[in-house]
Amino acid sequence: MTLILKLLQSLFSALHSEGTPGQIAAGIALGSILGLTPLVNLHNVIVFGLIVLLNVSLPGAMLGFALFIPVGFLLDPVFDRIGYTLLLETPALTPLWTRLYNVPVVPLTNFNNTVVLGSFVFAVAFSSPLFFLSQWAVTRYRATVGERVRHSKLYKLISASKLYDIYRLFRPGP
Amino acid sequence: MSVGTVRWRAVRPLAICGALGLGAWILLADRVAKHAVESVGTTLIGASVEIRRLHLDLPHGRVEVRGLTVASPFAALQNLLEADELVADVDPLPLLEKKVVIDRLAAKGLRFGTPRQTDGRTVGQSDGVRGQVERWTAQLHVPVLQFATGKIDVSQLDLSTLSTPAAAQSLAAQVDSVRTAWNGGLQGLGVAATVDSAKQMTDRLRGAKPTDLGLLGDARRTLDQVKRTRAGLAGLERGVHAGTELLQAGVAGLAAARQRDYATARALLRLPTLDAPQIGAALFGSEATERFRRALYWAELGRRYMPPGLRPSATPGPQRTRRAGVTARFPRERAYPAFLLRAAELSFELGGGGGAPRTYAAHLAGLTSDPTLYGRATTLEASAPGVRAAALVDHVRPTPRDTAAASVSGVTLSGFALPSLPIRLEPGQGTVSLSLALVGDSVQARWGMRSERVHWVRDSATARSQLGDIVWRVVSGVSTVDVSASLGGTLARPRLAVGSNLDGVLAQRIRALAGEASAGAERQLRARVDSLAERQAAPVRAQVATLTTDVTQRLSGQQALLDQAQRALEQRLRELTTIPGVRLP
Repeated sequence: MTLILKLLQSLFSALHSEGTPGQIAAGIALGSILGLTPLVNLHNVIVFGLIVLLNVSLPGAMLGFALFIPVGFLLDPVFDRIGYTLLLETPALTPLWTRLYNVPVVPLTNFNNTVVLGSFVFAVAFSSPLFFLSQWAVTRYRATVGERVRHSKLYKLISASKLYDIYRLFRPGP
Repeated sequence: MSVGTVRWRAVRPLAICGALGLGAWILLADRVAKHAVESVGTTLIGASVEIRRLHLDLPHGRVEVRGLTVASPFAALQNLLEADELVADVDPLPLLEKKVVIDRLAAKGLRFGTPRQTDGRTVGQSDGVRGQVERWTAQLHVPVLQFATGKIDVSQLDLSTLSTPAAAQSLAAQVDSVRTAWNGGLQGLGVAATVDSAKQMTDRLRGAKPTDLGLLGDARRTLDQVKRTRAGLAGLERGVHAGTELLQAGVAGLAAARQRDYATARALLRLPTLDAPQIGAALFGSEATERFRRALYWAELGRRYMPPGLRPSATPGPQRTRRAGVTARFPRERAYPAFLLRAAELSFELGGGGGAPRTYAAHLAGLTSDPTLYGRATTLEASAPGVRAAALVDHVRPTPRDTAAASVSGVTLSGFALPSLPIRLEPGQGTVSLSLALVGDSVQARWGMRSERVHWVRDSATARSQLGDIVWRVVSGVSTVDVSASLGGTLARPRLAVGSNLDGVLAQRIRALAGEASAGAERQLRARVDSLAERQAAPVRAQVATLTTDVTQRLSGQQALLDQAQRALEQRLRELTTIPGVRLP
């Protein structure tokens, strides 16, 4: 229940934030990388830094993260297969992996794990279409039902929550 | 990057967050490393690895582990080893490449085979290396020492379990095929037509004159035809001879199949064998197999995690909520191996005869995940009064060579139950030795156990049996046990041989006490097999005999007809063409 509530908060916060559709879409795209790939990995520290540092929508990122965590679990077999193909069944890439494997710090990213590599490649490739899709969807939402939702009781309830206060600290600038 | 793209006011919180993260890592590093070591160790060994405390002292490149417990991957409530303390001097630079290079490891208070409260096995019997070894073990045939008691029920024998019916069926098909081929061959030769033609020509020549050259030419052609047919018949006779030998071999095969059927029936009915080697295998085969299985498990594990060559290799990924996947390694020349333990000094304890455990020392060197990269074989040596152990794991070259030998004397050996008997052997203080040489696919191993003060324990809870009584009467008076088992061949086709000083005397006693009952059961069993097999084999044997007799007679008859026709024709031709004093061209 809490998870659903948080997801709703993220959703409404993102859609009605002061950010542009592009900022929200960028947040969702970056958040999806966090959700699709195994969380405790070095690349996700960088992704998290980008979300905080770049002027993208934080609620959008939270929404992307929350939405794509289950998708990540569901697609793990696919990621495993992609990673296996790239790491062990593509001889042309072996010199690259060998080089990266023996460079300091890079192996700490766990790139040589099939699920990590497969999910990361998928997430990066998927982030572009997701960005454009999200941008279009947010624009359409604001142009159609956005205003009515803004005046609804549910939205006001969410806006008054503490989470919203935290969001305001990191809200995207104009 | 434009000013609007970066959220500058988040830099400070992010920096604070980073600092907090770093602080948390420093605080939790020991716990994280402990979890990582436990997780990797558990995945690697196939049994639970637990650590009471792990301390990372990275500035001094030192890792201290206290209270290490490694569960046995074979026994449910047993530890493989426990260690009081391990101190490792770790090279910090390779850690940046997520590689662990330990210059020196000191392990104190190692104890083997200690009991545990819970089952620590994490790998199923059919998984990975364990499954591979289990499948290998299943190939080793260990006979069962068991009496057939009461009335022997031979009705469970059926045709599908016997070889003779199948062999008979196959031979019957062969007989049909040969019969058709021979009949075809005889018909194709047209012996009857040739003989008729020759007879007619002989008759025509009776009224002919020497000047009737056309008729003489026809006669010579007919004679040639007869000769050709004879030659064909001779060829067919050779084929028949070869075919007959083949069919006789098939008949002999029926006898061999019968012998196999006796063995199958004996196994089904579990009749006791009275041969001494079989008794040794039945008593100690399971125990020997278990030792070889464990040795092979470690060897195979070594081959999986220490592969030769510099090709990419894959091992199971870390345990986590998400799918583990596989983790690939990409070794490169002149780079660090993923794991290297240069040298280790091990201090371990073994139970002494007087009760107090004795402390021994061992030295391990060159344990690495990439032997080709390290360029040297892994060695283990332990030498102390009563203990000799050495191992060489050479995966540097493409064909891996794993050799190990260990001998321990003067320690209390663990006891074991004799399979399918209510008797347990407690060897007490004695000597046990195990050696293994695995070169490529070829395996040579020996296991030996000798004790001069064994103690036999009878399980009173188990129902008494005739065989149990016999064995108990023999072994209860024996105080010395000397068992030797050897394993040879290849991993795909291993051969197990087990012998002990009890074999001969047990065989003699069993033969004396139970030989008649066993022989009676054997006679009954053979009669049943004979009746089932003979039902199929007898008609086929008769078919073979009939066919070979028939074809031989037919061939002789045809041969005689052709001979007669040829002689008559030649005689008539000679009469016509021979003029006294004149030789015609």
